[in-house]
Amino acid sequence: MSDPAAALDARILAAIAAYALDDDAFLALAVDLFAYQIANNRPYAAFARSLGFDADRLPQSLEEIPAAPAAAFKEQRLATFPPQQCVLWFQTSGTTQGTGGRHEFDSPALYEAALLASFDRMMLADGQRLRYLLLVPDPRHHPHSSLGFMMDVVAEWRGDGEHGWYVSDDALALEPFLDDVQRACSEDRPVCLATTAFALVALLDALASASSTLSLPRGSRIMETGGFKGRSRIVQRDDLYREAAHRLGVPISMIVAEYGMTELSSQYYDALESRSVTEPRVKRAPPWLRSLVVDDQGRPVPDGIVGSIRHIDLANRGSVIAVDTEDLGAAVAGGLVLLGREPGAELRGCSLDAETLLRRRG
Amino acid sequence: MAEETLRDLPARAIIGHIAEAAARWRNADFPPRVRATASIEARLGYSLPVIEYALDRLFFGITAQGLETAITAELGSVETLDGPLLHESAVGAWARGVEWAVVVSSDTTVGVALPAALFALCAKARVVVKDRSDALVAGFFETLAEEHPAFSHAAIALPWDGGSDPIEDELFTTADVVVAYGRDEALAAIRGRCGPETRFVPFGHRASIGRLSARGVQELDAMRADALVRDALLYDGEGCLSLHATFVTGRTGALAQVASLLAAAGERAALEFPVGTRTPERIAAIAGYRNLSRYRAATRGGAMIDTGTAVVVEGSLDAPPPFLPGALVVIPISGDDDVAAYVAAHQLPVQALGVDVVDPAAIELAARIGAVRVCLFGTMQDPPLAGHHGGEPRISPFVRWLDTQ
Repeated sequence: MSDPAAALDARILAAIAAYALDDDAFLALAVDLFAYQIANNRPYAAFARSLGFDADRLPQSLEEIPAAPAAAFKEQRLATFPPQQCVLWFQTSGTTQGTGGRHEFDSPALYEAALLASFDRMMLADGQRLRYLLLVPDPRHHPHSSLGFMMDVVAEWRGDGEHGWYVSDDALALEPFLDDVQRACSEDRPVCLATTAFALVALLDALASASSTLSLPRGSRIMETGGFKGRSRIVQRDDLYREAAHRLGVPISMIVAEYGMTELSSQYYDALESRSVTEPRVKRAPPWLRSLVVDDQGRPVPDGIVGSIRHIDLANRGSVIAVDTEDLGAAVAGGLVLLGREPGAELRGCSLDAETLLRRRG
Repeated sequence: MAEETLRDLPARAIIGHIAEAAARWRNADFPPRVRATASIEARLGYSLPVIEYALDRLFFGITAQGLETAITAELGSVETLDGPLLHESAVGAWARGVEWAVVVSSDTTVGVALPAALFALCAKARVVVKDRSDALVAGFFETLAEEHPAFSHAAIALPWDGGSDPIEDELFTTADVVVAYGRDEALAAIRGRCGPETRFVPFGHRASIGRLSARGVQELDAMRADALVRDALLYDGEGCLSLHATFVTGRTGALAQVASLLAAAGERAALEFPVGTRTPERIAAIAGYRNLSRYRAATRGGAMIDTGTAVVVEGSLDAPPPFLPGALVVIPISGDDDVAAYVAAHQLPVQALGVDVVDPAAIELAARIGAVRVCLFGTMQDPPLAGHHGGEPRISPFVRWLDTQ
């Protein structure tokens, strides 16, 4: 790792450890990080230059920092270090487009520090040491899943020494899961069920078809993540959480949504104070991650107005600091409210669309 | 005295009534049209000029001559709908209309269900239209009933709410013909509810593309660019006849010139046809595409002009069209083989091929790529009533031939 990279990492790690970073300090670090990235990441530098920014003209505000579209990770390598220094990479899913890309790292240190610091505060504020039941991609089979990696780190460093993976090739291994739930119950060991929304639906469907309910040990919680893009079945979050509470015996306030993406190194979680309801929940970022809600021209919109979400993630030291997404949300006091697809949105027109084309092509 | 039905009327009389009703709807101040316009605007979010343009195209196209031309082209004569006509072979043939036709417009393309319904009526079939934008079809059917009471029982408009109306089971199983417009899933679901003998005519979602010849590139001026851009931007590019990608033949540098002309035309088009209301998802998708295009232009080169309301992007043969409002994709090619390879590689079901000149090469290209229409730029969104939408006949699905010997 180069000296500038190491120096930046030290500053970012300090912010993560302190779990605090005021606006001025954030901007100063962000600008330094941007300068480092355009010096070492050629595509990002070209993109920034097309928007009028280079080493001689650095952004003066967070709004000015050029944000690479998330899809740019699929276009070419977006890294500040040579390929041979890559020690970890995650496959970006590509949402409704075909091919994925890679988010590369020359060190796992920032990623691990960031995820643990957030997880500790947003999922383990009570300091519990939990048993992790993982309905997310198993890193043994999916070594480039960011979610699998994240939960593997959490289970390793924050678990009780026993954890299990129950999803393989998109299929739920129900019997081993139920056996391990039974064991946790008999040991009165609270669990953290970390699951994708889709896997949770599959679990609840399986329990419902067996007319079965579970009662997870007191103190258990659920971390749910991901949406339903590309899935044939979509369940509204309110229905999902109510059914999960009913079938798994976990209070709704202990069901927490994590919001992250492979192109980032940090995660958002439901703010503690918004967990008493299912909707709307406010997503809270850690101090080294900021979001802007922007309009179709990339201009920030006022709080409460819906727009696309842009992330500025200082832990993305090895790639790009700012990432534009097509996720919708609105800035509110204390965080961000994500908006899903409008179920009743009017369909227009008889044109082919990208999703249909992709589906037809298999 | 029993009320007259469509079967009691000569086909030419039916055509006359339809044409008269359409003539009333050509008046933008005709109250039912005003109501339909407001309903479409509220439901779909298109701007008023866009809706007025769509309704003008629709109703100015519905004429007695247009209907007669289409029917004669397919059936030989209009009178064959009235009873057996003796042919030279001494075999009589009667293009007898079916009893019931159902037309489902599961998506909200403005007025898409109407031509099919009108041809069914010309065949003297009773027709039920299930349409999301029912204010338009229902309003027009009311006008028809004012023209002649036989239409009041023969032309029925009901709302389509996604397929949950219990009446549909009976409709679909008993109809002689079901014509359906929609996405793959909707068509599959409707098809599955039809009776075993029901004639099912599906119109799935398709794409349209354009090809500028080398000469077309040379001759491209502001007026021609306006025509091309209107094909692309009207209805937010959401029609099967919308121009989704334009292939540009020619020398290096031609593309930049074309992109520049199209961008200027895009700005003019935005004044004539203002952008309406879009969903936040759509807005985010457009913004995402614009950002990605800017990123690609910065990192790989290539044309990218953003006018605010439209974005002209140099596309690649490797990527399918984005299918997004306001996106004008121009793709450089060395010849028509590139277009055919593109369509095959991306498995594009092509509706129309827009060209600068309809010559044998254009027709050959259209045939190669499976297009069902080849036409000049500027007319892509204005198909003739007698045209074979989706490659299908207009009135034939609604008749069963009765031979008399």
